[in-house]
Amino acid sequence: MDLTNEQLLDMYVTMNKIRTFENRVAELFADGKIPGFVHLYVGEEAVATGVCASLTDQDYITSTHRGHGHLIAKGGDIKLMMAELFGKKTGYCKGKGGSMHIADLNLGIMGANGIVGGGPPLASGAALACQYLGNDGVAVCFFGDGASNQGTTHEAMNLATCWKLPVVFVNENNMYGISSCTLNSMCVPNIADRAAAYDMPGVVVDGNDVIAVCEAAAEGISRARQGKGPSLIECKTYRHRGHFEGDPCAYREDSELEEWKEKDPIPRLEQKLMEIELLTDAKINEIKSGLQKDMADAEQFAEESPFPDVSELTEDVYT
Amino acid sequence: MSSVGIIANPASGTDIRRLVAYGSVFNNQEKVRIVRRILLGLEAAGVQQISYMPDYYGIVERALDALKTSMNILPLVFNAKADQRDSMRAAEILAQNGAGCIITLGGDGTNRVVAKGACNTPILPVSTGTNNVFPYMIEGTIAGLAAGLIAAGKVPQKEGTFTSTQLEVIVEQQLTDVAIVDAVVCDDIFIGSRAVWKMDKIKQVFLNRSSPASIGFSSIGGMLRSIAPHEPFSMVLELGQNGPTVTAPIAPGVVETVSVKNVRMMASGEEVALTHSPCVVALDGEREVEIKRGQQATIRLSTDGPLVVDVEQTMAYAMQKRIFASDVNIN
Repeated sequence: MDLTNEQLLDMYVTMNKIRTFENRVAELFADGKIPGFVHLYVGEEAVATGVCASLTDQDYITSTHRGHGHLIAKGGDIKLMMAELFGKKTGYCKGKGGSMHIADLNLGIMGANGIVGGGPPLASGAALACQYLGNDGVAVCFFGDGASNQGTTHEAMNLATCWKLPVVFVNENNMYGISSCTLNSMCVPNIADRAAAYDMPGVVVDGNDVIAVCEAAAEGISRARQGKGPSLIECKTYRHRGHFEGDPCAYREDSELEEWKEKDPIPRLEQKLMEIELLTDAKINEIKSGLQKDMADAEQFAEESPFPDVSELTEDVYT
Repeated sequence: MSSVGIIANPASGTDIRRLVAYGSVFNNQEKVRIVRRILLGLEAAGVQQISYMPDYYGIVERALDALKTSMNILPLVFNAKADQRDSMRAAEILAQNGAGCIITLGGDGTNRVVAKGACNTPILPVSTGTNNVFPYMIEGTIAGLAAGLIAAGKVPQKEGTFTSTQLEVIVEQQLTDVAIVDAVVCDDIFIGSRAVWKMDKIKQVFLNRSSPASIGFSSIGGMLRSIAPHEPFSMVLELGQNGPTVTAPIAPGVVETVSVKNVRMMASGEEVALTHSPCVVALDGEREVEIKRGQQATIRLSTDGPLVVDVEQTMAYAMQKRIFASDVNIN
């Protein structure tokens, strides 16, 4: 795949931005500054980054409960994200939604989603809108291995193929639906194997290799834009942290985590970019210190923002 | 005691070529059914011991669910990694344990890895991958019978097998990897999703076998001349612009026209230098070896490739010797 130096560096920066954001959120959550739950994307950065590299602002994504990475990769503003996590009025949902409801329709981000399997029907719906309007847009549905077993996913994929909708289903198979290992919850080894039932292409890629993800996503997105219908890309990956912050992870072995950390997508890309002299130690330090400053600014913005007023409690609430 | 190994790759048939080409979907349940028929063929041929590569789907275990057999069937014991290292490790153990034959289920990529570990153990490759040139499109029962005949010594190896050539990738004078069908030099720096489908990225094609009736890159050479897998020479094509053209099925459902700047034959033991650096070398259809800027790399043809069961010859020998027939006269 022909990626420019600028695109390669952009992907490196995006992955680090997600990692830096998530690591800081973990600290803030532990300090009690973030209410509710957070599900962090550490370890899975290559998926969102590799996929969103081929999307434009007119394209849509639907996300999951583990959505921060998707939002950042699609161009979400980390100040507004952090403010939302803090429950502040300046946040994406005016502080009333928290981690699992962040959306930015101007960027085509249809929202994180606390309902497992809630995203696929939304993605097919957005794709139907693109098809109806004839605007060349594409919808990408990020969903987890747990969501792959939900009826909503089946319905969305079936309809997407019947109507040849411009949607790409990107499965993030991190091996665990909360604590249930896919080895015990699925009767096929690959979620992509199910694509055959919908007569759509289904492929498996190394979800910890941003180039592999980017290549597959570019083909799926291009296929969708050309009116050739949906596809399913399964990205094999792993979350370094628990299902939620505070999860003791008693259901998996430490050795498994260590093995996956050896396949961490960020050092893998970093090493390659250093080999081709696109990155140097100085450049890496510059990027990482810049991101730390951005995080500090976002945190300060969130800290200094007001909470929503009690009088606004029932505004913007639809159910 | 006659013993056979089974290496069924649960991951074959799932790569990006289903998206960029029209590769068939080969699900693991179909592999289960093939293994079931292989086992029945092996038993009919008199095999007593089966060892198999464990895999996360349990292809052989599921095959056994619906069978009653007197054969002793056991998994190989090693720390499985759920990637291609398992196939190689399984092949090494089977070779060390003196298996009489290894049956593989996979594509060219799977068989390349098995060939690296199998040493001189005969391989009977059953096709379940994407660009399949090395493995046979064959009914599992026949595969079981043929492998069983070789493993049990009922058909001598010299009658029912051949030694394939292979291509050796040499980087900085070190043997780095091998290909059993083709080695393709790509103007790329990433291995990425592994498959190769953009012809404008391909600069050189090395083929140790070719046929006009095959799929994949070997079909490019195959449109010019055939090379049998045991013949001690290979073909080297340099692709470029404004040369004579060859139209060939480079992937399932993808027929491309390429411009060929130069074609030459390469003898056994001869080395040909790669014309590009940096580049990525795809082996049997998958990007595998990164050549860094300034590195010297060559490709050499070796006649010391994998030992392969010739199913037609094996079954023909069985017919001649009436292995499956008693004193039946044809009137």
